[in-house]
Amino acid sequence: MKQQHLIYLIAGIVVTVLFYIFRINAYESIYSVAGYSDQLYNLGLYDMIPLITIVVAWAMAAIYYFAINSVRFDRWYHWLVMLALTVMLAPIAGYMVNSSIFDENGLSYVAESLTFELVNMMWAALLFIVASFSMRWWSTNCRHTPIPQ
Amino acid sequence: MRLFLLAIGGTGSRVLKSLLMLSAAGVRPVDEDGHPVPNLEIVPVIIDPHKSNEDLKRTEALLTNYRSIRNRLYGNEVNVDGFFANRIVTLREIMSDSTIQLNDTFIFNLSAVEREKFRDFIGYDTMNEANQALTSLLFADYQLENRMNIGFVGSPNIGSVALNEIKDSDEFKALANVFNAGDRIFFISSIFGGTGAAGFPIMVKNLRQASNLDINNRDVLRRAPIGGITVLPYFNIEHNDDHRIDKADFIVKTQSALYYYKETLTGSNDSELNAIFYVGDQEVSKPYAYDPGEHGQRNRAHLVELVAAMAPLKFAGIADSRLTDQNGYPMPTMAFEFGLEKDVRDVDFLAFGSSTRHLIYEPLVRFHLLFLFLRTGLRGMIGQGFTEDEPKLKSDFLTSQFYRTLTDQFMRGYVEWLSEMYDNNRSVQLFNMGENDMSNAIHHVHTRKSLLGRKTVDNNTFKAEMNRLSRDAKYSTRTAEYKLLDLFNRAATTIVRDRYENIN
Repeated sequence: MKQQHLIYLIAGIVVTVLFYIFRINAYESIYSVAGYSDQLYNLGLYDMIPLITIVVAWAMAAIYYFAINSVRFDRWYHWLVMLALTVMLAPIAGYMVNSSIFDENGLSYVAESLTFELVNMMWAALLFIVASFSMRWWSTNCRHTPIPQ
Repeated sequence: MRLFLLAIGGTGSRVLKSLLMLSAAGVRPVDEDGHPVPNLEIVPVIIDPHKSNEDLKRTEALLTNYRSIRNRLYGNEVNVDGFFANRIVTLREIMSDSTIQLNDTFIFNLSAVEREKFRDFIGYDTMNEANQALTSLLFADYQLENRMNIGFVGSPNIGSVALNEIKDSDEFKALANVFNAGDRIFFISSIFGGTGAAGFPIMVKNLRQASNLDINNRDVLRRAPIGGITVLPYFNIEHNDDHRIDKADFIVKTQSALYYYKETLTGSNDSELNAIFYVGDQEVSKPYAYDPGEHGQRNRAHLVELVAAMAPLKFAGIADSRLTDQNGYPMPTMAFEFGLEKDVRDVDFLAFGSSTRHLIYEPLVRFHLLFLFLRTGLRGMIGQGFTEDEPKLKSDFLTSQFYRTLTDQFMRGYVEWLSEMYDNNRSVQLFNMGENDMSNAIHHVHTRKSLLGRKTVDNNTFKAEMNRLSRDAKYSTRTAEYKLLDLFNRAATTIVRDRYENIN
């Protein structure tokens, strides 16, 4: 195990933890609406949705690098497909949790929720990239995907 | 240990070519405990006055390519495993004596012999009448008129005179200078032609009588372990009205030569030769074009040459204690023969006995799979997987001198060799010719069965295994060439054992 690769992994974990610590700033710096954002905060969705995004992003990266891990899927466009799936899955999961909890509380912010998930898409993509560059070095067949290094 | 390999005549060159193919595949001589012979360097010396012989030229080109490929892979390292494992050097390369001027070539310089007609060489015109009459009794007119740069056209009586001059040559002195205790000498020659049949016993005699020569290391050379393979008739030639070479003479010549060898070299009490190997085939080969030498002599490769190529490897692995006595003098001659396990016309790996299969099966299969991989797989893998690990294999690798020498020249020679052996009688069909599918590449050897049919082997199988090996390996101090061939060799070892039926 090369020291450099460990540094990448640690850096990835640190970035992800920092993202979670500063999650509210991260989301609200891009999208913040009075009312909707307050409800996200009050109902604990700022805890849950970023966590879901993190789990989905890291899980998808792990699936690609260690479960799929095939010479038939080792090109950059295969990785891009996984990225696309991640930016779809994380917001969908986020939206479902969001709407479920809002429904339980008799709230309705459909348009705001969709916009928020668009922002979440961006963070999901970023986290998938971070996760990829953290763990890919130990993949047998995909360690040089998407960018040979 | 250095093994000086003296390949005499056309058969010598062709056997050497087979040895090169085995060496490229990674076949190494093993000692009697099955361990690779350590510190082995092979010093081939081709002795043939017929320099325009196509077989000689093809072998020389392959030797040069082999050396260049191996140098790039391993530098001066001797004990290595894998493709091109045996270190092959020229006499010039290992010489330290700068007073002897030699070309850096594998070919023995016979310029004293090859320039003239035989009658000029022996000074026929300056002989007195009685000597001329005696000479005319011993040599036919066409033999006296024979230009020796086309060889001795099946006339050992010419060769025995001409090749006796070798002992005074710079090459012979160079060999004597670099020969050390522990080194060995091995001859490859045919018994039914001219050059080999004559050169072999003369050179053995000159080595054993080295104490009379003005050379260094005389005593060491005189006691040197010497082995030889004498190839008995195995090929046929087309009928021709010119009878300088006649197939009908092969058996008679062989019988005479065997009697002579028995009297002088290989008798039960003789110790001129430590080991003699016999190989031949009564199965008639496809007839070769009748060519006493004028048209270059290009003969198809043959099973017998492949078998003969294993003899020097066997000799290198014999323990010293079986070759020399306690005082360092040669022991009486040991004789070896070779037989197929199955007397078949179409020879595949299964036709060989188990010891031969153990020696050549896995290396040759690995090398053939390498050939297929380089031809069909590597180009598409550049930029992915193991090619991106240090040292990287970039696309310019495919245009490098090393890669072109390996694929355009050596591998082309390899395919030619396989095709020629296939297109001969006995037909050697180790691999399915023209088959690019790795799963079906080995003749009569299938991949193993699995739940979903037979296992497959393709370029991706190798890519995955090489990716795995490369991830955990350290090649940063090696060249990209070494990395590629070492990875492939290691991957192929696993894949051949795991995915193909075991025939060993």
